[in-house]
Amino acid sequence: MTGGTPARSMARSPFVLIVGVVLTWFIAAFLVWPNVNVLIATFFPDGNFSGRAAEKLLSSQRAMKALGNSFLLAVALSVTVNLVGIFIVLVTHYFRIRGSRILFLGYASTFIYGGIVLAAGYKFIYGDKGIVTSLLVKVFPAMDPGWFSGFFAVLVVMTFATTTNHMLFVANALKGIDYQTVEAAKNLGASTWTILRRIVLPMLKPTLFAVTILSFLTGLGALSAPQVLGGRDFQTITPMILTFTNSPTSRDLAALLAVILGVATILMLAVMSRLEKGGTYFSVSKVSSALQKQDVTNPAANIAVHAVAYLLFAVYTLPVVLIVLYSFADGAAIQTGHLTPGSLTLDNYVRVLTQQSGLRPFVVSVVYSALAAVIAVGGLLFVARLLQKYKNWVANVFEYLLHIPWILPSALLALGLIISYDHPNPLVGGAVLTGTTVILLIAFVTVKIPFTLRMLKASFASVNSSLEEAAAIMGAKTLYVFRRILLPLVLPAAAAIAALNFNSLLDDYDTAIFLAHPLVQPLGLVIKANTDGAEGVQGVANTFVYTVLLMIITGVTMYLVYGRTRRQGSTKKGPGGIPPAAPVAGTAHAGVPTSGEDTAQPAVTVR
Amino acid sequence: MRKLQTLVAAAVAATLLAGCGGGTATPAASGEASSSPAGGSGETLVVYTNSNGEGRGEWWTKKAAEAGFKIEIVGAGGADATNKLIAEKNNPIADVAFGLNNMYFSQVKAEDALEPYEPAWAGEVDKELGDGETYWPLVKQAILLGYNSDKVSKDAAPQDWTDLWAKDEFKARYERVTGLGTATAQLVFAGILSRYRDDAGDLGISDEGWKQVEQYFQNGSPAVAKTDLFARIASGEVDMGQMPSSIIAEREKSFGVNVETVIPSVGVPLAVEQIALVKGTEKKEQAQKFIDWFGSAKVQGEFAKQFNSMPVNKSAESEANPEVVAFFADLKQQDIDWEFVQQNMGAWVEKIELEYMT
Amino acid sequence: MIRLDNIKVTFGDFTAIPHLDLHVRPGEFFTLLGPSGCGKTTALRTLAGFIQPSGGTVHVDGKDVTRLPSDKRQVGMVFQNYALFPSMSVWENIAFGLRVRKEKPADSDRLVRDIAGRVELSDEQLSKNVAELSGGQQQRVAVARALVLRPKILLLDEPLSNLDAKLRHQLRQQLKDLQSQFGITTVYVTHDQDEALAMSDRVAVFNKGVVEQVGTPQEIYDHSATEFVCNFIGDSSALTPEFVTELNRLTGAGLSTDAKSYLRVEKASLNPAADGSAAVGLPGTVASRTYHGLHSRYVVRSHGAEIRLLVKEDGGAHPEPGTETTVYVQPAHVLQYHPGTGAALTREDQAVPL
Repeated sequence: MTGGTPARSMARSPFVLIVGVVLTWFIAAFLVWPNVNVLIATFFPDGNFSGRAAEKLLSSQRAMKALGNSFLLAVALSVTVNLVGIFIVLVTHYFRIRGSRILFLGYASTFIYGGIVLAAGYKFIYGDKGIVTSLLVKVFPAMDPGWFSGFFAVLVVMTFATTTNHMLFVANALKGIDYQTVEAAKNLGASTWTILRRIVLPMLKPTLFAVTILSFLTGLGALSAPQVLGGRDFQTITPMILTFTNSPTSRDLAALLAVILGVATILMLAVMSRLEKGGTYFSVSKVSSALQKQDVTNPAANIAVHAVAYLLFAVYTLPVVLIVLYSFADGAAIQTGHLTPGSLTLDNYVRVLTQQSGLRPFVVSVVYSALAAVIAVGGLLFVARLLQKYKNWVANVFEYLLHIPWILPSALLALGLIISYDHPNPLVGGAVLTGTTVILLIAFVTVKIPFTLRMLKASFASVNSSLEEAAAIMGAKTLYVFRRILLPLVLPAAAAIAALNFNSLLDDYDTAIFLAHPLVQPLGLVIKANTDGAEGVQGVANTFVYTVLLMIITGVTMYLVYGRTRRQGSTKKGPGGIPPAAPVAGTAHAGVPTSGEDTAQPAVTVR
Repeated sequence: MRKLQTLVAAAVAATLLAGCGGGTATPAASGEASSSPAGGSGETLVVYTNSNGEGRGEWWTKKAAEAGFKIEIVGAGGADATNKLIAEKNNPIADVAFGLNNMYFSQVKAEDALEPYEPAWAGEVDKELGDGETYWPLVKQAILLGYNSDKVSKDAAPQDWTDLWAKDEFKARYERVTGLGTATAQLVFAGILSRYRDDAGDLGISDEGWKQVEQYFQNGSPAVAKTDLFARIASGEVDMGQMPSSIIAEREKSFGVNVETVIPSVGVPLAVEQIALVKGTEKKEQAQKFIDWFGSAKVQGEFAKQFNSMPVNKSAESEANPEVVAFFADLKQQDIDWEFVQQNMGAWVEKIELEYMT
Repeated sequence: MIRLDNIKVTFGDFTAIPHLDLHVRPGEFFTLLGPSGCGKTTALRTLAGFIQPSGGTVHVDGKDVTRLPSDKRQVGMVFQNYALFPSMSVWENIAFGLRVRKEKPADSDRLVRDIAGRVELSDEQLSKNVAELSGGQQQRVAVARALVLRPKILLLDEPLSNLDAKLRHQLRQQLKDLQSQFGITTVYVTHDQDEALAMSDRVAVFNKGVVEQVGTPQEIYDHSATEFVCNFIGDSSALTPEFVTELNRLTGAGLSTDAKSYLRVEKASLNPAADGSAAVGLPGTVASRTYHGLHSRYVVRSHGAEIRLLVKEDGGAHPEPGTETTVYVQPAHVLQYHPGTGAALTREDQAVPL
């Protein structure tokens, strides 16, 4: 399947034709048409191209600086996340470290929370009134209590917040390494460090490239960490994009900024794909032996690695512990940072869970997210398979078109859907979609397409093509082969992708605010309403309660998908969990630049 | 398409019925709400507002039910609610919108998404506060500069916004906004910029006016996301900042601080929350009845009593908190040309975001 | 050259090797042979230093290396799948050990090219990516990579097991040639008796962590020390007590009738030997015949035993299934094992009644 299959031969398979027609319709109706509409509306307001946005932006010192900061953060994050991410993957999966399971749980805490609450959690600890800062000031009175702010603080927090991808993808790739190569290198006299540097890490390159892209995207889309910790000198572009998106007269600026970030994203993708093409990274053999944990032989190094590992563990877990703790405190205590054991009550939970809307938003969000996750994964299973099988220009065009949602922020995607479908449109059989429950589902499915596609393609790539041929020889039809042979093989990966999609959609705000049916409101809107300044002091407390509740839901989801497969011991060959290679992937937390790392909470107050 | 729609709606509805124990019945939420808006059968009115926070939404739902109106309150920020009303104008879901101020409603009106209606209580309010045609005034809200009165004496306090950056003692002691998305922030700037109206200037504002904005941003302490101004006052980080009148009493209590407000000689920008009928509603008659009930003196009076608000309805004033009434009676309202503001606000926000916010 | 004394290897509760003594002579091609899970790979990995034995010592060239890490033992290893580093070129793979040792680049290059030449890898191949090489070329890279450090011992862990039959035969020869060319002491692990017999100077047959027999290929074939070895190596027919009794009656050989008795397929015949050796004929019925071109395989039933034998297809007439025939057997070829212990009964033992 390596050579290109001519485009013409694709047309001969009825399966391909059906998928192709549906896909063409979907892309035209929901990816191209709405977004072309919104771009035309913003850049060609009166039918003529307007360069106003570019002029405005270029002459704005603030915009340029914020844009620069976003790029600086993206580049810096690509480095730091790799350093920390590789380290935590190695101590949990490669080196023999005491208590590595506990460490894993601590490092995995970023799976289940993020956004503004995470940033707030770090502020409780290292901010000017934070626990650690208070201690340090006692020891070093000359110290500046505001030390934890600006670029440094943002970088630190975002680094620790976004190692999720490493824990998922790099750890999996590491498991796929043939242990015999490690032994061979040992036998040839290589030290632990040399083996790591020359043998193990090079084999992880494709995955590292993929997660580097994700880190880059996350940095570009940074929202809440700069807002909470950036201070005056380190603000990023995303808050500006969100503000401009909401202002009809400035939407062209938002679109232009989003397109700039989108182009950077695509460039990054292209560069990484090129780098990746350079070499072979996977074992050339068909048999491999499972990785065994390595001792750090040098005693001093061993102590140092243990120390750093546990220090990081503390860094990772402290914010979670504090967030859970603070979720029981009243709003004033949270904001002023004074916490007394007596002030912890269940009031916040009672208030959130007994309010008028009650559990309904949770149910709505769970249903929407689950439907969107399943539809995106289910539909793209066919598409990804075809794209992976047929490598010709038609497939390439489709593939690029399916990445459109990565270029524009979800708020603009939502606007595009509104502009295009607030009147009867033949593309959808003459229906009006605004004000229906379907339009939000369409948006949810759409924003998850690029990530889902990349991950599914990677997992299909790891399926041995002779399996399919074997089935075909026995007379099985395309669909039957797909259902009985391919599907079971990629199902674990598909389930994992669906789970990540599900988690990231649960508290969506950017699309829901434009598209949600007012009577079927998802959680993101309720969270926003409950956590805004307008909700008063309780708003902040509510934020924490919602975060803890979301942690529980996402934690359960992750457990259902990963916890179980881990226990079933999927260390053998085959795509267990997530495909080891994930070339140029996307993630639950990246994707649309302006959503950035901030999936957990909508941060900008627009009231 | 239709099939998919029904499927989704059915799935959502089914889970809702099965899974939700809390609160309101949702008869109209079932599938048929989809492409035939408010299918005629539904008695539930969909009400958009940005003023449902701090228990207001629940209060209104309860009161409306007592009066025989089934309503579903959909809360969203001012800008979001405005965008939503505009976005849905060809297929409206909302029947009524309330809480938005003149600035927002005039945008919605400009998009032709409001239906003219004169409520029964139109004679009891000052028509000037609304547009006298589509949106009608309910509640007055003053946008104030407040300071920590435990720390700053009345004599030493600033006399006007401009003192904040003109006088050294206030520099870095006041909180300045980091975004102009909120209605309060936009009103503060409407108040400041209106003083420097100059049709020859950039966006209708003189250079002097823009200099004030620049100074405001240069000398203030930037707001911190998710940290209330009152929390920062309590911790001593800053001493003053912008605040809408209705929240002061409650937050003083929560954070244990005392706040006094500044009344500049030019007056204070007043935001007036309005109510309007959404164009294209299929429950027009019922919605009109609801508006008549909503703005009536009795109901507005009860609301004012409950939430310390200042009703516009003259007959409701007697029910409101006398302190509040007295405060607003003394309050000098800043004379602001709202049409001018509404026309330029988008551009102002853009300019400020791009050039002055550092 | 290599001495394993009293080696014991355990993994948790599981004892993989209870007790192992082995002695490999300098320059020898020594094979560890056995079915999968018999402990042969464990023994090799203990020798390589990847497994720390819980008891016993390992000596290489007279030096105790039991506690030394793999790279200090002067052993080179070729892995089952060659374990070539996929991210490196052929040259980099071979030079890896040299660069780790911090050899001068010029020296490294010279040594790499020298060894590459000796394993017949061209300069062009040196610059290739390992994925671009054929199985045979990959094997040569793996051998070159192991040998470039001039180890005293070369360890080969089933290097042919994943190849197709034809390539396996070809590479078997190539490996053997390389070994004799370099004259290096080699320990080879395989489960393929054919390979073991064809390549080795001596073979150790493993079963359940225990060495059943050490000897030259011919010794283990002709004089399998245990019933297990007899069954694992080559092909033989089990004889019934009736058959043995008849054999004793005809020849007076005095074979034990209680012992488990086997006869190698090639040792039975349908024709009396021309050289007039001590073969005697027993009557039987042809049960089946399978044609193999070069020869046919017969099963002849005689005194309850199913005697399997080969008949060369030399154009002569041969009996068809169902016909009566005579099987010719020499009593000296019968292999006998103690029914309890499985140990071979020697001539002296046979004299002693059980």
